Amino acid sequence: MTNPESSSPPPLRSSAGQLPGAPESAAPRTVIITGGSRGLGEGIVQHFLDAGDRVATCARSETDAVRAWQSDPAYADRFLFRKADMADRDQCTGFFKDVVAEWKSVDVLVNNAGVARDGILALFSDEDSDTVIDLNLKATIHLTKQVVRNMLAHGGGRIVNISSITGLTGYRGLSVYGATKAALDGFTRGLAREVGSRKITVNSIASGYLKTEMSHGLDDGQLNQIIRRTPAGRLGDPEDIARAVSFLVDPANDWITGQVLVIDGGLTA
Amino acid sequence: MNDIESRIVTIVTELLERSDREDKTVSLGATLHGEDGLGLDSLETAELSAILEDEFGTDPFGAGLLPETVTDIVAFYADATAASA
Repeated sequence: MTNPESSSPPPLRSSAGQLPGAPESAAPRTVIITGGSRGLGEGIVQHFLDAGDRVATCARSETDAVRAWQSDPAYADRFLFRKADMADRDQCTGFFKDVVAEWKSVDVLVNNAGVARDGILALFSDEDSDTVIDLNLKATIHLTKQVVRNMLAHGGGRIVNISSITGLTGYRGLSVYGATKAALDGFTRGLAREVGSRKITVNSIASGYLKTEMSHGLDDGQLNQIIRRTPAGRLGDPEDIARAVSFLVDPANDWITGQVLVIDGGLTA
Repeated sequence: MNDIESRIVTIVTELLERSDREDKTVSLGATLHGEDGLGLDSLETAELSAILEDEFGTDPFGAGLLPETVTDIVAFYADATAASA
C-alpha cells in the first residue's frame, strides 16, 4: 500500500477556483499543512487557498500542483512551498523558520505528512519501521513543538493531526502505521490538555479509506468489500477530510479540543 | 535599567497580566517560581521561553539553562552580547 497522504487525487480546483462549501475567512490566517504536494494534503492546501488563507506547505518533491500554485497570481503572496524531508529535523526546523520569517505567526497547523509501509510485522524490516515512525510520529512531534511555542507567544491557534481509522480498528499489514496513528491520537489528547487554557485547540481526524490511497493499495475485491461495508456507500474524497479540517480550525470552534473526529462514511459506526 | 533589562521586565509583566496576576511586581531580583516569587507554573515558563525566543531569537530555557530569577535571564542575554562582541 502506498502512503494514503501521498497518492494523486482527482483535480480539486474548479474552473472558478472555489470549492463548494469553502468557508469565507474574515481575515487571512497563516496555515501550515505538511505533506501538501499531493493526495489528501493537496486537497487540504487547495481548500485553505480557496478560503483566502496564507498557506505554507512542504514535501520532499515539487509536484504539478505545487508549480500551479506557485505560478498562480491569485496566490502570489499567500503560498509558500519548501522542498523538505520532515523526518530530517534540520529540514523540518528550516521549513518552520522560513514560514515565521515570512509571516511571523502561525494560526493553524495541519499535521498531514505521513507514510505507510505495508507488510505483516513478522516480516517487517526495521528500516521500514523507522521510516514510518520517524515521519508519522517523531517529525509531527518535532514540528508541533515549534509551532506550539509560536502559538503560545502569539495568543492561540488551531492544530489538527491527520490520523486514520487504522489506528482505531487496526488493519492487517498496517500494524506499525496504525500504531503511529493511535499514538498521534494520544498526542492530540495530551497536548490539548496542556495548552487548552492558552486558546490552542488540538484535535485529530481519523480518516477512513480515500479513493486516493485505495487505488494504489488494495485490489478490487478489497475495495468493493470496503464500499459494501460503508454506510455512505463510497470511498472518501480529499474534500471530505478538508471540510472537516476547516470545521475544526474555525475560530468559533474553541470548545472542541482533544477529540478524534472519525470521517469514514460510517465504516466504523 | 538598561534596554535589555526593561524589555525583559516588560515581557514578564505582560505574561503575568495574561494570567490575571497584575498584582505581582516584577523586579530584576524577583524569583520566577514559587509562592514567594512570581509563581510561574510550567506552562507559563514555556510561554516565557517562547516569547523570549520570539523577541530575541534565542532563550535561556531553550539553551538548556534554568534561570531562577529575572536577573538570570538578563545575564543570559548580557553574556550572549559579550560573547558576540
